[in-house]
Amino acid sequence: MYGRVTGVTVVGVRGHLVTVESHVGRGLPSLTFTGQPGAAVQDARDRIRPAIESAKLEWPLRRVVVNLVPGNLRKEGPGLDLPVAMSVLAAMRQAPISKLPGWAFAGELSLEGSLVSTPGVLSVAIAAARAGLRGVVVPQPNAAEAALVDGLEVVGAPALAEVVGFFRGTWTPVPHPGSSDETQRSHAVDLSEIRGQAQARRALEVAAAGGHNILLIGSPGAGKTMLARRLPTILPTMSREEALEVTQLHSVAGLLEGGLVRERPFRSPHHTVSPAALLGGGSTHLRPGEVSLATHGVLFLDEFTEFRRDAVEGLRQPLEDGRVVVTRMAGTAEFPARFTLVAAANPCPCGYHGDTSRRCRCRDDRIGVYTAKLSGPLLDRVDIRLTVPRLTKQELLGQEPGEPSAPVRERVEEARARQRRRYVALGSFCNAQLPGPVARREARMSASAESLLAEAVDRHALTGRGFDRVLKVARTIADLAGSEHVEPDHVVEALAYRQTPSALEPEHAG
Amino acid sequence: MPDEAADVVGDPWPVWPAGFAASPEDVRALLVLSGLRGLTPRRMLEVGVERGSAAATLAWVRAGKAGSENDRAFALTLDADEVAAAMRACGARFVPWNTPEYPEQLRAIHDPPAALFVAGAAFPDPTRAVAIVGARRCTALGREIAREVGRTLGLAGVTVVSGAARGIDAAAHEGALSADAPTIAVLGCGLDVAYPPDSRDLLRRVRSRGGTVLSEYPPGVPPDPWNFPARNRIVAGLCSATVVVEGGEGSGSMITAEHAMEFGRDVFAMPGAVTNPLAVVPLRLIREGATMIRGAEDLLEDLGLELVQEEIVQRVNLSDTERAVLGRLAGPTLPDRVASELRATVPEVVGVLMRLELRGFVRSVGGRYESTLKGRPQADARSSRSARGTPAGETRRTGMPARSSRLAAIDER
Repeated sequence: MYGRVTGVTVVGVRGHLVTVESHVGRGLPSLTFTGQPGAAVQDARDRIRPAIESAKLEWPLRRVVVNLVPGNLRKEGPGLDLPVAMSVLAAMRQAPISKLPGWAFAGELSLEGSLVSTPGVLSVAIAAARAGLRGVVVPQPNAAEAALVDGLEVVGAPALAEVVGFFRGTWTPVPHPGSSDETQRSHAVDLSEIRGQAQARRALEVAAAGGHNILLIGSPGAGKTMLARRLPTILPTMSREEALEVTQLHSVAGLLEGGLVRERPFRSPHHTVSPAALLGGGSTHLRPGEVSLATHGVLFLDEFTEFRRDAVEGLRQPLEDGRVVVTRMAGTAEFPARFTLVAAANPCPCGYHGDTSRRCRCRDDRIGVYTAKLSGPLLDRVDIRLTVPRLTKQELLGQEPGEPSAPVRERVEEARARQRRRYVALGSFCNAQLPGPVARREARMSASAESLLAEAVDRHALTGRGFDRVLKVARTIADLAGSEHVEPDHVVEALAYRQTPSALEPEHAG
Repeated sequence: MPDEAADVVGDPWPVWPAGFAASPEDVRALLVLSGLRGLTPRRMLEVGVERGSAAATLAWVRAGKAGSENDRAFALTLDADEVAAAMRACGARFVPWNTPEYPEQLRAIHDPPAALFVAGAAFPDPTRAVAIVGARRCTALGREIAREVGRTLGLAGVTVVSGAARGIDAAAHEGALSADAPTIAVLGCGLDVAYPPDSRDLLRRVRSRGGTVLSEYPPGVPPDPWNFPARNRIVAGLCSATVVVEGGEGSGSMITAEHAMEFGRDVFAMPGAVTNPLAVVPLRLIREGATMIRGAEDLLEDLGLELVQEEIVQRVNLSDTERAVLGRLAGPTLPDRVASELRATVPEVVGVLMRLELRGFVRSVGGRYESTLKGRPQADARSSRSARGTPAGETRRTGMPARSSRLAAIDER
């Protein structure tokens, strides 16, 4: 006896349709998988029989072979529990075999037959919709997530018995609430909570407006983390496509709670993070790393100099391409990884080099070694570098609460809209993404701004890359000001954000 | 003072016996003696006075009557020819106490080195040398001051003497070298040891511009911490005046200044805010009687030298806004504060600050902004003073360095 249903396995973030066929034949009672089942699928062998029996259905006391097609693709993840069970039940004719085509199944089964929340359901639904299927059957907790995909019927079932009941016509799924895209986003934090630090707040605004990466240098207690944490609150509201992508990534990682993710993610991995956890990987199941989970949001690397060198070097590809390709024995997966990088570091190992009120206790040569870590090819991708001073009590007192996030975000959105209009033909979205030569062509500088920048090149010995960075940031400042051309005022402000703090200046020889 | 004391009580400090390094055998012995680590210069002087010659002193050490046990073992194995070969390898020569090249000023200190290892040009006029010392880890302002003082002294024909450390030492040399003036670098290690490593380039330039690098230690001696206080007495001893720019608690510049005072030389100190940890030494010195200077021109005035004015600071060309912003920078200041005081926005203020920074009136320090020497209030006064008789604006004038009252006074001693 033969049965067949459609399941989905997720490789990276992409769902691949898998035909799960079962044959129930003569022989000693057993369950055999063929077609490259991964470890989690092998696990299902002992899980499925109790689940079926708990659902008051019958498990065949015969030899069962389950084949996963296509055979050249390794199937991973617990989401194949439900399709395997349904396929066996179809072969046993316990489920109406004529009604199963057109549906994709995904979900992990528990021993009592209930369906538990499963990672990657959004990717399953997207794959099903792309294949033109009618609908998906998923665990009830994942229904809202699957419902984000248009044109797909979503059945959110609490247990295996209900799934069978649905196809027998004895159970009707409760309609899940429609996706509530319109709900107000509310961040737990707000820019107004930062006292003082006007220059840093402004730098955040510029970074948000142009999509620039930012390096914050300051002594412990200067407020670097506090500043970084508030960058997502002033980034433009995510578009639906962006939100879907973020949701999909978080779904695959098993981090999703409820439906669409509307807040821009803020990820701050600890500096001991392994390259695999930062960039994505895993020995059998390829998981998105922190860079991907930060997509369309902020990746905050506090204590940047303490990160493992191989992990930091690995950031170059995502910063260049907005994606990361992970290759492992288990295969190759590509994850989106387009994020704003906020790196934070102390000015020296002890943290007080250049501080006006505390003395640095580091040895000279150690400062040199330390600051060498704050340069290099990765930090060439960081357009804005800013020293955040540690404020004295006196400086903090009498500071009025700063501007809240909302009006800043409005300005940022206007500036971004201006950039989108300008770069519509270039396929870029913001100034930070422009390659150097394009930035030079598109900057639209006034003559006086150009001569000022030329003067700065002489004065500050700007390198080619440094020049491009100042140019892009100046362009963003002009966009924030609603100016068609880059004016001298924009250039001078941009120059302030390239300051290598005095603490980091290479010492004069000798 | 010391001279008067000498007149009254006789000779409180022993001096090297006249024939101490007279014979070639003595010179060879001295090459070995200079490499001994346990025998301090002062102790060697005592033994030298007692024994009469370097060769006799070395024999005394080899007999275990002076110096440490290590010294004895070392003195027995060390070959003078090896030391001489190593010395020649790094382009140095041996200058014992009794040779004409031995700097006259240095002879006058309590425990002058018995001999020096010298590389580079012969000593310039020793009466026209000024030491600039200060913190290794100095502030940007300190570095700027040291540079300016070094440059101004260089232009005035005064030889700058300093160590070879990072920070103030290096900046002082750089300043003088930028004026094409020779400098003297005194090391706390062998001449072939580059310490700190990045001093190698500086020392090469010192030598290539007609300057001198010297040490009392033979080649190969590592930069042991206890060498530096001893080195500082040579720095102070070589100069008629010592300028301390920045120094924190426990800084070596205090030692240099104390030596200078002990030797009866002038001490100048550049003050800083009382809250500035790097102003501890200069402020203490000023309280103890050192002369306070606000910049290179004060120093030249006190030394009786004429300022060689290169260019008049262009503060007159500042706009009212720029002037207003500059006027708010009392010490490192947050742009927020300037903005709220002037009722301007932060981006505006930052813009003005960057324009000022582009022209060198302002620099950023750890997220705050401070005025540079060029932007300080007295710059106006300076330009009016030095531009006497000439229209304000760019004036290029080359002043002839005149003999200083104080330097002359030292000459006469």
